[in-house]
Formats: sequence, C-alpha cells, structure tokens
Amino acid sequence: MNLTWRRTPRFGHPEVFATIALASFLVARFLPVLSLPYTCPLKGMAGIPCATCGMTRAFVHLAHGDAALAFASSPLGALLAGGAWLYAAADLARVALGAPFPVPSARALRTATAAGILALLANWAWLLVRGTGS
Amino acid sequence: MLARCARCQGTFATDRFGHQTCPHCGSELLLADPNAPPGSSPEPPAPPAPPVPPPEPPAAAPPPAPEPPRGWQGGAGPLPPPPPPGGWAGPPPGGWGPPPPGGGWGGYPPPPGPAPQGAPAPFAERGRLGFFAAFFETWKLVATQPAAYFRRVRIDQTGTAVLFGVIASTVGNAVQAVYTHFSGAQARAAMAGLLENMPEEQARIARTFLESMTGGFTLVQIVAAPILALLFTYVWAGVFHLLLMLLRGANRGFDATLTAVAYANGLNLLLAVPGCGGILALVWGLVVLVIGLGEVQRCGAGKAAVAVLAPAILACVCCCGAFGIPAFMKGVEEAARQTQTTRL
Repeated sequence: MNLTWRRTPRFGHPEVFATIALASFLVARFLPVLSLPYTCPLKGMAGIPCATCGMTRAFVHLAHGDAALAFASSPLGALLAGGAWLYAAADLARVALGAPFPVPSARALRTATAAGILALLANWAWLLVRGTGS
Repeated sequence: MLARCARCQGTFATDRFGHQTCPHCGSELLLADPNAPPGSSPEPPAPPAPPVPPPEPPAAAPPPAPEPPRGWQGGAGPLPPPPPPGGWAGPPPGGWGPPPPGGGWGGYPPPPGPAPQGAPAPFAERGRLGFFAAFFETWKLVATQPAAYFRRVRIDQTGTAVLFGVIASTVGNAVQAVYTHFSGAQARAAMAGLLENMPEEQARIARTFLESMTGGFTLVQIVAAPILALLFTYVWAGVFHLLLMLLRGANRGFDATLTAVAYANGLNLLLAVPGCGGILALVWGLVVLVIGLGEVQRCGAGKAAVAVLAPAILACVCCCGAFGIPAFMKGVEEAARQTQTTRL
C-alpha cells in the first residue's frame, strides 16, 4: 500500500476522528449505554437484526476487556471498535511526537471502502444466520 | 497549445481561444486571445503573446480570488476571473526582456499554493455582517440556491461550515425536543388504545419510544444535541467521502465533502417546525446534500446521489433480501413438498 507522509495542523481532521474514537471508548467503558431503553426498530418490527445490530454491545464488551463476547455480539463491531481505538492511540502518539500523518493512496482507500462494504454485508449475513442482535 | 484551469490547476491541450470547458473539473473558463484588439472582449486583455512572457500562463484564465461580499446573488454561473493583484496593465516599460537561455521560458510556473478559491460564506463574515444576519443569509442561500452556493463557496473554511451546521442542528433538535416533551402526554393518551391491539414486541418498542419523548430524555436530547451534531457531521462526511472516492468523485478532498455535509446540516433547523419538521428537514436536507456534494466536489449530482443514498439503498436491498430469502426458501420447500405428494 502506497503511503505519503503529510504534515498536518496540530489539531486537524485526523485528530477530530481520533477524538471521536476516544470518546466512543470512554462512553462504552463508563456510561451505562446498554441500560438505555432502545430496541432496533427493524429487529422489533420485522424480527430480523439490522446490519449494525450488536455494535453497541460489541463496543461495550470490548471496552470492558471481553473480546469473545464482543465478537459474539458483532464481529464487525468488535473489529471497528478495536481499529478505532488503536487509531486514536496511534494518532495521539503521532501528535505528541510531531510526526507526519500517513495518507494512503486513493486506490488503497477505494479498496478499503469496498472491503468495508463487503465486511458490513458479511457481518449482516452472520447476524441473520445467528439471529442475534437487538 | 496548453491551457491551465484556474479552478483545479489542471492543464489540457486546446487549439482555440474563447470559452472552454475544463476536462478535469468541468469548469467554464475563458481563454483570452492575445492577438485580439483591445476592447473586443469583455474580459481583461491577456498579456502579449511570446516572445513576451506573461506573468501567468499565456492561454489560461487567471486564478480566482475570493469573491467580494456582493457575490452570492449573482446566479449559478462560475466565478468571473478577477484581475491579478497588479491589474491587467501590459508589459512593464521596456518589455518583458529576452527569454532566459537554455530552454526559453520553460514550463508553467508552479500553481499557487494555498490561494483561496471561491467566495467565503456569509457566515464566515459574521464578525462584519452580524451573527444572526450572517447565519440567516447563509441558511437562505443553502436552502434556496444550493447549486450556486456550493459551486462558489470556499472549502478551506470547514470550521465555519461545521459551526453553522452544529448551531442549526442544535437549535432544531432542542426546539423539537421541547415541543415533543409537551406533546408527549397527548401522544401517549392517543396511542394507549392502539398499543393494546399491537403485538407485544411492537407495543414494547412503541412504549419505549413514547417514554423517550418526555422527562429526562428531553434534557439529555438538548444537552447532547451539539455533541451529536458534531459527531454525525464528521462521521457522515467520512462515509460519504469514502463512497465518493469509490465512485472516483472526490475531486477536491475531504474539506469539500465536510463543507457540503456541514452546510446541508443547516437544514436541520427545520426540525423546529412542529409536525412536519422532521420529514421536511430530512427530504430537503438530502436534496441539498446531493446538490451540494455534486457541486462542491465537481462530480455531478449522479455520483453525489449514489454516495448519499447508497447506505439507504444498501439497507433497503438487504432488508428486501432478508425478507425475501426466507419467503423464497419457504416457497421452494412448499413446492418440493407438493411435488413429492403428487409423486406419491
């Protein structure tokens, strides 16, 4: 994968995304989000989980260190949570060290996007087969 | 001859002067004829032809500069090319001098670096115009002239765009939450009879929804509104930008996508309209977003529409698939059973 290294402002868009990722960890770890009275409308009305069902629980379980339960809730959610938090930590370290930001090539980003869409569909298929999620 | 687009700085070959369309970004530009008599063109005369070297590429329109504040009422056309800082005066006294040895004048000068392109949004000039006047002027332009607005708005002022979207979303959500809080009791009373006839699971969801319309949830909604608006602006901008990249439509970078998403979020102010505000904000916001992304990324409304609607289309297709596959399998099983019965 081709990378170009780019100097960015001290707090640019990459840092905004890192902050969002960090906030998602703090919310999943310290707030009782699973106690919120929320049910997936698709699951409630049609009895089938939506593509993102189980992601909240995956984030919460992973934030509490239970990777197996996180993957059982939503494999893609667990991967997304892990990836997002790793990105946040790496970007924090990068900013602290004053290192440039690695920008993937457009082709690599296109490939990653297509892979992400396929992963979302595969995750949904897995949830449908398992019949989990709420 | 080679020409360079003033907008995207891309070069292209052409064999004529006059109005051209940039093959890279689709912008209209005017190549001034250096041999045309003065005053024959509405455009300022270009510097003389070689061997006199021009300060800019000889066959290219000059780079655009920030539009003066008058600029937002002028229709949907591209920005007129303004004169360069020194004006359009001809060569300096004594001419431009001979070309340098060993290769003549060489290639074009490097494109100007961070020169701003387009016009600043009125909201970016809120210090001068006044906060409310600038806000509502921007909102009016976004809502009523999205094509013209997004074609010309500067994309390097993302902070202003995000602030605009967050303020509009916060106000819209807060007013809607308060309105819903006061109408929640009536809604619960009206739904009570309906809930008794619903299946248990659906009734539970409806009850949860109705409970979320009152009490502490209203306060949570109001407090969380600006945070969620900021979060969703960036997350959706990221999603749409990745999808645009997949469609090869992200011609001007993430800043452009973020600008379009943030200004389109301004339509969330319509959430404050009682009753139909939600659907109005959704539909109008989607239309503005599709137009805005197409204009600001110079990728056309088709790609923008696919990028914006792809998540919803994907969900619909998959839902239909999820509903359809079990029904199809059931049909196949039924057909197989009937076939077996017939054979027996």
